[in-house]
Amino acid sequence: MLRRARLYHFGIFILPALTLMAIFVMYPTLRTVFLSFIGEDGSFTLSNYTEVLRSRDIFNPGGYEGEFPFGALIHNAMWIAIHLPITTFLGLFLATFLRNVKGGGIIKSIIFLGMVMPMIVGGIMIRFMFDGSVGVVNMVMGFFGMHTQTWTAYPETALFSLIFGSVWLWAGFSMILYSAGLETIPNMYYEAARIDGASRIKMFFKITIPLLKPITVVVVTMTLLWELKIFDIVYVATMGGPGGSSNVLALQMYLYGFREWNAEKAAVVAVLITLFTLVAAIPLIRSAGDEAE
Amino acid sequence: MKRTLLLTVVLVFASMLLAESITVIGPWSGDEEESFKPVLQAFEEKTGITVNYRINRAEDLANVLPAQFNARRAPGDVIFMWPHFITANPQHAVELSDVVDTGLYEPATLRSVMVGDELYGTAYTAKPKPGFWYRKSFFEEHGLSEPDTWDEFVALLEEISEIPGIRRPIASGNGVGWPLSDITEHFLITFGGPELQNDLIEGNISWESHIVRRPMEKLAGLLEAGYFSEPTEWTTILEQWWKGDYALYFMGFWIIGMVDDPDDLGVFTLPGARGVVSSVDYAFVPAYADNVEGAKKFIEFISSVEGQSVQVAQGGHFATVAGVPEDAYPPADREVARSIEGLEPVRDLDDTIGGAWQSAFWDQLKLLWVRPERLNSVLAELEARMP
Amino acid sequence: MRKKTFEKIAFSTIGWFIGLVWILPVMGILMTAIRPYSEVIDGWWRFDSFNPTFSNFINALTHPTASMLEGMVNSLIIAVPATILPLLLATIAGYGISRYKFPFRKSLVVAVVLTLALPQQMIAVPLFSIMSNLGLVDTYAALILVHTAWGIPWITFFMRNYFKTLPNDMEEAARIDGATDFQIFYRVVLPNAFPAIASASALQFTWVWSDFFLALILIYSPDRILATQRVPLMRGQYHVDWGLLSAASILVMIVPILIYIFLQRYYVRGMVGWSGK
Repeated sequence: MLRRARLYHFGIFILPALTLMAIFVMYPTLRTVFLSFIGEDGSFTLSNYTEVLRSRDIFNPGGYEGEFPFGALIHNAMWIAIHLPITTFLGLFLATFLRNVKGGGIIKSIIFLGMVMPMIVGGIMIRFMFDGSVGVVNMVMGFFGMHTQTWTAYPETALFSLIFGSVWLWAGFSMILYSAGLETIPNMYYEAARIDGASRIKMFFKITIPLLKPITVVVVTMTLLWELKIFDIVYVATMGGPGGSSNVLALQMYLYGFREWNAEKAAVVAVLITLFTLVAAIPLIRSAGDEAE
Repeated sequence: MKRTLLLTVVLVFASMLLAESITVIGPWSGDEEESFKPVLQAFEEKTGITVNYRINRAEDLANVLPAQFNARRAPGDVIFMWPHFITANPQHAVELSDVVDTGLYEPATLRSVMVGDELYGTAYTAKPKPGFWYRKSFFEEHGLSEPDTWDEFVALLEEISEIPGIRRPIASGNGVGWPLSDITEHFLITFGGPELQNDLIEGNISWESHIVRRPMEKLAGLLEAGYFSEPTEWTTILEQWWKGDYALYFMGFWIIGMVDDPDDLGVFTLPGARGVVSSVDYAFVPAYADNVEGAKKFIEFISSVEGQSVQVAQGGHFATVAGVPEDAYPPADREVARSIEGLEPVRDLDDTIGGAWQSAFWDQLKLLWVRPERLNSVLAELEARMP
Repeated sequence: MRKKTFEKIAFSTIGWFIGLVWILPVMGILMTAIRPYSEVIDGWWRFDSFNPTFSNFINALTHPTASMLEGMVNSLIIAVPATILPLLLATIAGYGISRYKFPFRKSLVVAVVLTLALPQQMIAVPLFSIMSNLGLVDTYAALILVHTAWGIPWITFFMRNYFKTLPNDMEEAARIDGATDFQIFYRVVLPNAFPAIASASALQFTWVWSDFFLALILIYSPDRILATQRVPLMRGQYHVDWGLLSAASILVMIVPILIYIFLQRYYVRGMVGWSGK
C-alpha cells in the first residue's frame, strides 16, 4: 500500500520533469561519454583521448619558445589561477568596504551590472575596452604616457585581456554573496570584540572571515564552474586567437564538434571539462547529499 | 457580377497552379542583394519562373545542410555555397555537365566544382582582389608614383613612412580574417606564381617548402619593418585610410562602392605579379530540390553571357564566362579591369580549401601580423592542419 | 570626531571612484552607441563635438542581415515558454521531493546537483543528432525543449530548498479536510511559494535570454536567429561598425537589466538562495 502511494507520488510529481531531463540532459551526457571512447571503426578505444591530449590545441606546455599559445587546457588553468583569487578577494573587499560608504548600494548595483548582462555582450565590452583606438584601457594608459595597442590582438596579452576583463564582469557575484553573508553576522560579536579592544583588522580576520567560510565555499565553487565553462566571451572577443593564444576548452569543443564535425574529439574535450567541473562541485554535491539524508 | 468573381477565382487558382517557382539561397544582403535582384528579375522575365530569394551564409548552411541531406530534404532549389562543400557532397547534388556550357569558361574556374569529369556546380561572377588601393589625390600631393619593381615598392613604403601624419604606410583590415589572407595570397602568387596557389589548394606542396617560404619571408620582412598597421576592423580602417592615416589598403574590387569618390581611387599590384585572386561564387542544385528543372534553367541562366552581363552592369563583379562585352561594365570597373588586364585569374586559397583549415589560416595570419618573427611556427601550423 | 568625518569622506571618495571605474566600459558602449562613429573614432571620451543621435539604434533594429528587432522578438518567443514550462514542471518536482518519500530520493537530489555542474558542451553533439533525427534542427521547439530540460534541475533544487523552509501544518490541515494532493499543491502551496517562483522565473528568463551556445548549435536561419546570435554578426564577415555593435549590445542587455532593476529583490535573493543553499 505504502509502496503504491510512493510510486503514485513519484509518477505525478517527479516523472514529467525527469522524462525531459532524461531525454535532453542525461541521455546526451551518457552518449557523449560513449562517443569519446569510440574509434573510427566503431570499436572501443582510448585513442581519442591520447590524440586530443597530445594535440597542441589542448596541451602545449612548452608554448612557442615559452610564449603563447600553451593550449586550451593550460589557458583554462591560467584563467582559474588568476581570476579565482582576484574575484574572490575583490568581492569580499568590495562587500566589506562598500558597507561603510554612503550610496554603497548604488555602487554595488553598478558592479553587479556585469553579472546581469549576457556574456556575449560582456565579450563585446571586453573587446571594446582593450581596443587600440576606442578602448578605455588605452585612454588611461595613454594618459600616463604608456604604450597603447589593441591588447586582444597580441599573443602575449590576448588571454590576459580576457581574464582581467572577466574580473570586471564577475566580481559582482562574490560581492553580492558576501554582502548577503555579512548581513547574517550578528553585530554583538563585533561589540564584544570591540570591548575587548580588538582592532578593526583583527576583527575582520578573526570574526568576519571564519564566519563567512560557507559563503566562500559557494563563491569558489561557482566561480570555478564559471571559469571552466567560459565560452561566449572568448567566442565574440578573440575567437581563441591570435594563433590560438586565447583558446579555451569550451571553444575548442565547439570547433571540433561544429566546425570540423569530429564528434569523437569534441566528446573527449566535453568529458574533460565535465571531469573538472565535477571535481570543483564536490563540496556542493557532498552538502546536498548530506542534507538529503 | 457573380460570374466575374468566379472567373477571377478560377484564374487566380489556375495561375497559381501553372506558375512555376524556385527558391534561391545566397549569402548576399543589403547592397549586394540589391545588385543581385536585377539578375533575378531578368530570369523571371525570360522564363516566367518566379524566384524566391533567401539569405543564408555559407558557414551556417554548412551546419544545416548535412542534416537536411540525410533526411533527403533541401532548403532551396539553387544554393550558393563553397566549392569544397559541393565537391564533398556530390551524392546530394544534381549533375550539371549538360546544363552548363563549359566551353565558355576557363577550365580552371570550373575545376573547383568537378568530381572526376562530372560537374556538380557552376561558377557565377567573380570579384577580383587586384592589389593595393591608394588615393590619387594623396599620391599627387606627395609626389608618389606606382612602383615597377620590388625595390621601388619598398622605397615607396619608406617614402610614405616619412610623410607626417601617416601612422603606417599600409592599412591592415581585420574582422574574421579574410582581409589578411587576401594580402598573403597576393604575395604567394606574385613570388611563387599562380601555379603555387593552385599547388597549395590541391595540397601538392608543403607550407614549409622553400617555394612557399620565399614569398612569406618577403611579407614577414615588411611586417617586421613596421610597414603594416595593427589589424583593425576593416571598415574602421577603411575610413582611417581614406582620411589619410594610411596610404595603401589591400582590398577587393568592392571597395569602389564603399568610398565617397571612386574616381580618386588608384590601384596597383605587387610588381611582377602574373595573377590576381578572383573569388568566384559557386552554386549547385541539391538532389532533393522541389523543382529541379526550374533550378537547372536558373543555373543555365547565371552561367550564360546574358545572365552575367546583367550582374556586371551593377558594378563590382567580373564575368567568369567569355564573351561579356566591355561596355556591359560601368566605367569605374573598366578602369580597374585595365589595371589587371593580362593577369591570370587565380582561385581564392582559403575559400577553396575552406572548413576548419580556413579558420586556422585566418587565426595564424592574425598572429603573423603582430609577431612576424614567428613565421616558422605559423607555416608549421598551416601544414599540420591541412585537410 | 574629526578623524571619523575625514575617514567617512575618504571612504566615500574611494568607493565612488571604484564605481566610476566599474561603469567606464558601460559608458564607452553607451557613448559609442549614441554618437556618430566619426565622432568617437579617436575615443569616445573626446567631446570636441557632441551630436547625440538614435540612428545607431534604429540601424541596429532594422539591420538588413541581423535586425535586432526581429532578434529580440525571436528571443522573447523562446524565453517566455522556456521560463514557464520548466518552472511548472520543476516546482511540482521540487515540492514532491521535499514532501514525499520514494525510492532513490537521495540519489535524485545528488543527480540534480550533478547536472548543475554539467557544462552545456557535454550535451551538445548528441543533442544536435537527436534534434536532427526529430527534424527539429533550426526550430524553436528544439531550443525551448532543451532550455526546459536544462532549467529543470536547478529550479527543482531551488524550489525544494524553499519548500523545506515552509512549515507543513497548513498542508496537513488541508489533507485532514480531505483535499487531494493536487488541490493542496494548487491552493495551499503555490500561493505561499510566490517569492521563490518569482526569483526562479527572473533568473531562468535572464539565462535563457542570455544564452548563446545552445542557440548557436541549434538555430541557423537568418530570420530565426536570436538576439544574442545577432550581436557577433554585427561584427561579422562583411560588416564591422562599433556604433552598431554598441547599440545592439545595449539592446540585448537592456532586457535582463530591466528585469534586474524591477525584480532586484527576487533576483538577488534567487542568486544567493540558489547558490547559497
